[in-house]
Amino acid sequence: MARRILGTLALILIVTGLYWGLVEAPPDARQGETQRIMYLHIPSILVAYLSFFIVFVGSCLYLWKGERRDDNLAHSAAEIGVLFTALTIVEGSIWGKPTWGVWWTWDARLTLTAILLLIFTGYLLLRSLIEDQRRAAVSGAILGIIGFLDIPLIHMSVYWWRTLHQPPSILRPDKAPWDNIDPAMLWPLGINFVAFLLLFFYLLSLRIHLGEVEEQARRDRLHDTA
Amino acid sequence: MTGALRQVYWLLWKDLLLEVRRRDNLLSMFFFGLSLLFLFSFAFEITSDNVAGMAPGLLWLAFMFSGTLALGQLFQGDRENDCLDALLLAPMDRGAYYLAKVLFNFSLMALLEIFILPLFGILFRLDFWHLLPDVLLYTLLGTLGFCVVGVLFAAVTLRARARALLLPVLLFPLMIPVILGTVRTLQIILGAGAAPDLVPWFRLLVGFDLIFITAGFLLLEWVLDG
Amino acid sequence: MRFPPEPAILIAARRIFPIRNMVLSVRMDKVSKVYGLLWALREVRLEIAAGEWVALLGPNGAGKTTLLRLLAALSYPTSGAIELFGRRLPYGNSPLRGMIGFLAAGGHLYDNLTVSENLRFFVSLYRGDVTAEERQDVLGEVGLHEKTGEYVSTLSLGMRCRLAIAKWRLVNPRVLLVDEPYGALDPSGVEMLDRFLESLCAGGGIVVLASHDVPRVLQRCSRAVILNRGRIVFDEPRRDPWDSFHAAFDALLSSHDMDGTR
Repeated sequence: MARRILGTLALILIVTGLYWGLVEAPPDARQGETQRIMYLHIPSILVAYLSFFIVFVGSCLYLWKGERRDDNLAHSAAEIGVLFTALTIVEGSIWGKPTWGVWWTWDARLTLTAILLLIFTGYLLLRSLIEDQRRAAVSGAILGIIGFLDIPLIHMSVYWWRTLHQPPSILRPDKAPWDNIDPAMLWPLGINFVAFLLLFFYLLSLRIHLGEVEEQARRDRLHDTA
Repeated sequence: MTGALRQVYWLLWKDLLLEVRRRDNLLSMFFFGLSLLFLFSFAFEITSDNVAGMAPGLLWLAFMFSGTLALGQLFQGDRENDCLDALLLAPMDRGAYYLAKVLFNFSLMALLEIFILPLFGILFRLDFWHLLPDVLLYTLLGTLGFCVVGVLFAAVTLRARARALLLPVLLFPLMIPVILGTVRTLQIILGAGAAPDLVPWFRLLVGFDLIFITAGFLLLEWVLDG
Repeated sequence: MRFPPEPAILIAARRIFPIRNMVLSVRMDKVSKVYGLLWALREVRLEIAAGEWVALLGPNGAGKTTLLRLLAALSYPTSGAIELFGRRLPYGNSPLRGMIGFLAAGGHLYDNLTVSENLRFFVSLYRGDVTAEERQDVLGEVGLHEKTGEYVSTLSLGMRCRLAIAKWRLVNPRVLLVDEPYGALDPSGVEMLDRFLESLCAGGGIVVLASHDVPRVLQRCSRAVILNRGRIVFDEPRRDPWDSFHAAFDALLSSHDMDGTR
């Protein structure tokens, strides 16, 4: 029931946020209408980062306590994280084509997002290729931890390698977020962010439930065998 | 701790002795690296004008591919006759085992690099003989980074299906700081970049080595047991 | 770290009052192990006292090796708890692992190391380096004194087994798990192994020996456990004559297509 409410709320907020962002909010002074993809782009990448953080936390907890629940959390978060990362890259390409004239460029943030996608699809691949459940969980946890620790280093190295992207416009250390951006744009962005968060938690709870059901089914089948 | 160090010594002694007797890793790595150099000369137009810019990337490709080959074989010696079980049965410090394996793979790759570097200089007329100590320093720094993460994932993929394919898929995205770090520093040393940039890359490489040798030392225990 | 030997008074007391379970040393409580959708062991309860020599019998696939691997802390039980001398079984990085030995007939040796190198290497994981005389002595006792410099790859299965025995003599574990040793050994080797296992038990150690060689096992063991399809179907201390054992074993034989077990 709680999950259904969460889903409904997410749906309402997404519709509101999208309407506000795509219709009500003014077009960007420099980029025009293409900038509107920001209302999806920024929330989805933030949610992707959140899910990889949850993978890290779940992995650490699993190695520490050894509970299936924590592994299920990490695995679920990784799947959703991969989804949102892929979404971010697709949105970035759609935005990049009219803005830069190309679908893909080796810009630091694009590259970084692609590397994240590689690492965490690798996580899913690794889990699917190991038969034994406990071993799959442990291997996933190791990759979840190492991958997360590696992200800042990859970030640094890729940035030094090349920077072409516009500097981040929301999270800047010198100004509060709301000073950098027209309030007329900030509102739909904020709503979309909350909406994506709700969507994320809705999907996460669904996926965790799925994992529990699978586990239960496996246990039932096991007890049926003599 | 002295007990663990003594175990590192004996484990490394065992691996080196087996390698000296069988030589299968070192020989195949060496011929693999050599054939890569020949492939490079066919695949790329390498002239004395562009060799300084291309050499670091090509060298690192050769080192990484051969290193991955070695990682895939790293635990094979211990798996024969179930010796790995006998090791795990013993009160062997799992961290000591990790360090011994890192040192072993590092020595294999270092030997290969000492072969390949001068050979590359001769084959592609790269005049870097006076810079060789610097080149070797950064190469070895990167090699250590490759080994500290590589050994952990060689162990993680040990019981996975299609592990020979899985290992590079997992490893290469995680290796990006090492690849960028060594390739950029070598380019700077060879005169294709600005000298002041050297220090941050150096720090990045050292940081990578330290972070992941600690992580691997602590995490290998979970990978092996069970 | 080596586990301290049991107090002499306990050992002496056991000789005078041979009461079973006086010192409970190994305890398995409702231990299950599942591979995929297969029960390798199902809710096994087993308590072994110090000084016991337990014979583990049963057809192929009954779960004998799984049980030994669980006791060796080489694999985790899917559910249930295993205790060793009142403590949790030492998984992973534990110095207490030195208490457990696992004697596998042909395995656990490096083919491309010599006999003495293998011995030196494995024992070095347990204790400070062994002196050359010590190694020579123990190799002499197991009848390998002429083979010290040979590669293990040139040894026969029986000689490998003798080398493994030499290793465990030097390590001297409190619990020795033995997996199917008799097939490889010649009569003098069998005699030597039995003497070693007996001295281990006399010192308060535990032997758990899995084998298909029923007559040989029955000569020496102090207790027999029969496993079938992951469950314990028989568990009794030895007595003479042992009619209940033969009845249970014959029942198992007739219920099973016991290929490869006789």
